[in-house]
Amino acid sequence: MAAKLVQLTINDKEYDIAVQANETLVDVLRYRLGLTGTKKGCGQGDCGSCTVIMDGNTVNSCLVLAVQANGSRITTIEGLESEEGLHPVQKAFIEHGAIQCGFCSSGMILSAKNLLDKNPKPTEGEIRSALSGNLCRCTGYQKIVEAVQSIAK
Amino acid sequence: MGNFEVINSRASRIDSPAKATGSALYVDDIKMPGMLYGAMLQSPVAHARIKSIDVSAAARLPGVKAVVTAKEAGLVKFGVSPARYDETLFCHDKVRHHGDNVAAVAAVDLETAMHALSLIQVDYEELPVLITIEEATAEGAPLVHDGYPRNICAEIHQEFGNVKEAFKECDLIKTTTFVNKRQDAAFIEPQGCIAHFDIFGNLTLYSSTQSVHYVQRTVAMVLGLPIGKVRVVKPYVGAGFGPKAAANHLEPAACLLSMKTGKPVKMNFEREQVFMHSRGRHQFFHKFTTGVKKDGTIMGLDHECYLNGGAYTSFGIGTVYYAGSLLGGPYKLRNMKYDGYRVYTNLPACGAQRGHGGVAARAGWEQQLDMIAEELGMDPFDLRQKNMLVAGDVTCNGLKISSFGMPECLEAVRSGSDWKSKKGKLPRGKGIGMACGFFESGAGYPSYPSDTYHDTVLVKLAEDGGSALVLSASAEIGQGSDTALAMIVAEGLGIPLEMVRVQSGDTDFGVDLGAHSSRQTLMTGHAAKEAAEDARRQVIEVLSEELKTSAQDMDIKNGVVKFKMEKPDFTPLRTRYIKEHRGWLDNPATDDELSFREASRIAFLSRGTIVGKGKYKPPVPGGSSKGATVGTSPAYGCSAQVVELSVDEETGKITIEQMTDAHDCGLAINRTSVEAQMQGSFSMGLGEALFEEVKFDSKGRLINGDLAEYKIPSCLDMPKIKSIIVESNEPNGPYGAKEVGEGAIMPTIPAILNAVYDAVGVRIYELPMTPERICTAIKEYKEKRIDAEYEDQSKRNRAGSSIRLYD
Amino acid sequence: MLLPKFDFDEPATVSEACEILAEFGAKAKVIAGGTDLTVNMKKKLLSPERLVSIARVPELQRVDASSTMLKLGPCVTIANIAESGEIGKRWGAICAGAKALGSPLVRNRATVGGNLGSARPAGDMPPSLMAYGARVVLTKKSGQRVVFLDNFFRGPGLTEIAPEEIMTEIQVDAPPPHAGAGYINLGLRSSCDCNIVNVASYLVLEGPGGPIKEARIVMGCVGPTQRRAVSAEKALIGKKPCEALFTRAGEAAMTDSTPIDDFRGSAAYKKEMVKVLTRRTLAAAFEEALKS
Repeated sequence: MAAKLVQLTINDKEYDIAVQANETLVDVLRYRLGLTGTKKGCGQGDCGSCTVIMDGNTVNSCLVLAVQANGSRITTIEGLESEEGLHPVQKAFIEHGAIQCGFCSSGMILSAKNLLDKNPKPTEGEIRSALSGNLCRCTGYQKIVEAVQSIAK
Repeated sequence: MGNFEVINSRASRIDSPAKATGSALYVDDIKMPGMLYGAMLQSPVAHARIKSIDVSAAARLPGVKAVVTAKEAGLVKFGVSPARYDETLFCHDKVRHHGDNVAAVAAVDLETAMHALSLIQVDYEELPVLITIEEATAEGAPLVHDGYPRNICAEIHQEFGNVKEAFKECDLIKTTTFVNKRQDAAFIEPQGCIAHFDIFGNLTLYSSTQSVHYVQRTVAMVLGLPIGKVRVVKPYVGAGFGPKAAANHLEPAACLLSMKTGKPVKMNFEREQVFMHSRGRHQFFHKFTTGVKKDGTIMGLDHECYLNGGAYTSFGIGTVYYAGSLLGGPYKLRNMKYDGYRVYTNLPACGAQRGHGGVAARAGWEQQLDMIAEELGMDPFDLRQKNMLVAGDVTCNGLKISSFGMPECLEAVRSGSDWKSKKGKLPRGKGIGMACGFFESGAGYPSYPSDTYHDTVLVKLAEDGGSALVLSASAEIGQGSDTALAMIVAEGLGIPLEMVRVQSGDTDFGVDLGAHSSRQTLMTGHAAKEAAEDARRQVIEVLSEELKTSAQDMDIKNGVVKFKMEKPDFTPLRTRYIKEHRGWLDNPATDDELSFREASRIAFLSRGTIVGKGKYKPPVPGGSSKGATVGTSPAYGCSAQVVELSVDEETGKITIEQMTDAHDCGLAINRTSVEAQMQGSFSMGLGEALFEEVKFDSKGRLINGDLAEYKIPSCLDMPKIKSIIVESNEPNGPYGAKEVGEGAIMPTIPAILNAVYDAVGVRIYELPMTPERICTAIKEYKEKRIDAEYEDQSKRNRAGSSIRLYD
Repeated sequence: MLLPKFDFDEPATVSEACEILAEFGAKAKVIAGGTDLTVNMKKKLLSPERLVSIARVPELQRVDASSTMLKLGPCVTIANIAESGEIGKRWGAICAGAKALGSPLVRNRATVGGNLGSARPAGDMPPSLMAYGARVVLTKKSGQRVVFLDNFFRGPGLTEIAPEEIMTEIQVDAPPPHAGAGYINLGLRSSCDCNIVNVASYLVLEGPGGPIKEARIVMGCVGPTQRRAVSAEKALIGKKPCEALFTRAGEAAMTDSTPIDDFRGSAAYKKEMVKVLTRRTLAAAFEEALKS
């Protein structure tokens, strides 16, 4: 069971990493590359706290084998800031009080960003639907939805 | 309300940029040089005698650095209340629930640690498994713990007033029952910790906890270390809701493994272990008998409650008391009798969860009040208004009500929901319901008997005068306490929020009982305010000496020193300040007002580091008679909610459509955070009402220990919420503030229950209100209604009363 | 949660994949999106020695909707199906199933082939596909066979796919004129849920509003595999569609179902819901048939 060399483009930076077949993407991000902004809440795709954007789509990185991600472009929460500062979704979450414990926030923000990239003017229903794989136990989602709505206009 | 510079605003939380960018470090994000990975061996059966444990194969596995069992850990008993220290770090004689802890290993990586666990041989002799209260209390049932006959872990009998006598004056006496299901807190971050026992013999434990103080005490006691050698640090925490307020077994286990190996040891719960070990909401079996007069006056409550406690006590003594005492408000209840029983079973232990002990009691009783209102022909609002406590009242069980914005809450949700045009007027299948809530602002006593201060806070001014550092052992777990403390300190010092930095969650910073019983804003807030004012006093004293101006004539506002009388010549101070800051480009201009920064620098030059000290211990609370100290608090929050929903009568599926919520938090330190607590509480209440139930098979093994089959609400399950803040200016709270974090969950379940009744005419006495349960109830209701139509065409109530509860 | 150790192959073509499976047989497992398989492996319910990832085989990711047939590569994601206008237009119930599956995050990874291959009695994709009369193409080194979904499921987690075979295509005929279908799933939550009962119905009418020529009703969660409500279907054939007829069909479907009591619900409730969902899906199918 030899390690496999995979190439990942994470937040615009290329990585060549030797991984074991049984390593998940979330573990490679967190424990191999130190990108700990991606969280692990359940390990089986139920909570969404490990959400990353992979080749344009949000995925539970705990269910993605790192070897299967070979060649992919991945955006994690660490990749959202730019020279202009925080991403508008990050700013909106801060301004609207959409963050409490913060453990779901990385995934929630990435799901919101991915929605707005694809659909810049979502309805409330579309927002709720797009975020429905990211469980949050603190907020009741209201301020999260309001934050997304504030930049969806 | 006062005129505030910082508090009572909508400031952005000070921790949110770190959390929005992924840079906030939670415990599993931390890695230390040489760190080992630990794992716990847990019982596959719910009740068994341990005949032998053989760890030799595990210990021989390459990469394994330590294997520990009760032999190494010793048998020091611990728990939450000293009266019920009934746990040891590892089981030695028997295991009492599925997942009970038997051994732990530390290895070079998690894979090796997990492999090692599989090599430990434990010989179990299985014992009968007690799952229900009936089984556990049956004659001749085996005992979960020796010394507790019939497995009664705790028994409470209280009577305030005389219920029997009171019932003689009543026109209506109503008895109903209610049962909830075991609820898991389902915080998204599982518990985890890293212990590091260093070469100097100091132990540092980083843990995902709500109370560094309680964890420090437990770990030190279990491992026999002096408290001064144990430091507990809370990194960012992915919420807690109660269960993280007590030490979990990972904490002492990781410490022991680190002591054995001399290396840092990391341990995490997997999600299934969270269900087995984080002590969430009990299952409560309530029976309420309430007597009222024709005019709606509530005369008395006779209340009986059984709790399925699981295998250990944890917070359970508090829970069984709270289940009774929290019904002391928000209504003037002249007579109250309470008989509570907490029963040991072979299920994982239960403990404290948001609304500790009071949520199911509130749900069942508020539903009963709705039924009483209907039978009396009163609007549910009117019944409640008639009986409402007012500030200055002392409840029959000794709870002192010092502020109470309940009339405002009721009015806010009544008009905010357009109740009048909806109640009784919605088409069948759509319903509206209301209920009230009541909760304490911090417990009157610590969980161990002690005269300790509950909170100490230090406010240290930076030597250059430019900022203030708040040092506290309080626990920011997502509720916003760091921001609230920063705002309180900024207000108290008279400086802008940006000048305040908070370091919290570290036992090195002081004593703080942590984030539970909705205590952080009021109690730590008090200490923070006192510390800020102490620091401010010292700065003004130095100014007074330097400027020969009376301290009374000076004030600090928004970072600027205000002179009430003639402005003294402070040029010499400014000159000194500028001299101290040569090279800086932001020194004050000649005609600027004297800044806090300059004053604080001068104070440092005069006295050394300026440290303001604050502390808080609740005033000696009432309720000491009849053991009713649980529930006493310096202040009580109250709330009212209206829920609108629809019911699919064929499938039984409920859709919550709209919710209006008003909460009296005394004074909102941060308005956004108060609303956030209200909305979060509602979602947890909605989950418990509609979906959530931890399930076990007939052998006591967990069935649904994951977030797929244990269902907390998703974004699509939540309605739009209208949140209304009511402020009653609590005299015992810092700047008038009191709780919101837990009281806000209280009305949710009964408001939903009452709305379901309004929609389809059924009363539900057992949670959760799954489609199946609703569907069955509607069927029974329809059958009953056909019978009832012969007797009484007009009434559509009662049908539900006959639905049995405990089946 | 750690995954057990395994070897990993990522063949570029179907024939390469078949070669590997021919060699390793039951020791290997095919993985596409992995949303189901990896969870089962983490729970140690499965520990194959080798995973063969077909997620990147281009020919297995095609969607080909012609005038007569829909051909889906097994690696088409559920999200792609849910969002596909051309599938939605003619095979709306398939889209409805896709939209109901898991969460957006799961739908972005999970594949139609995976949802069929995992053979969960509560799966969201099988009922509609079966109702449309879908077939799957199973390919191995030495040849190919086509299996109707009706004959595909063997039990929970068990299918017709032999160890050396790969599902390479799902074929669904285009519904004729005056046909329609409906899919409804009932769970607790509105997202991330596992169904308590799900039903898909498919109707073909003789003409506009005319008697029912063909009917297929597929029930999930009420047996070890999805099953056809045969007596309900019989009750419909030749009859003029109306609410009362659909109610009778729902009652007949109850007798076709064999649910068990489990922690998600009682058998009695599931049976009752078969009745309700059958009636409702038939009504939806009829409504669509009137429009087509």
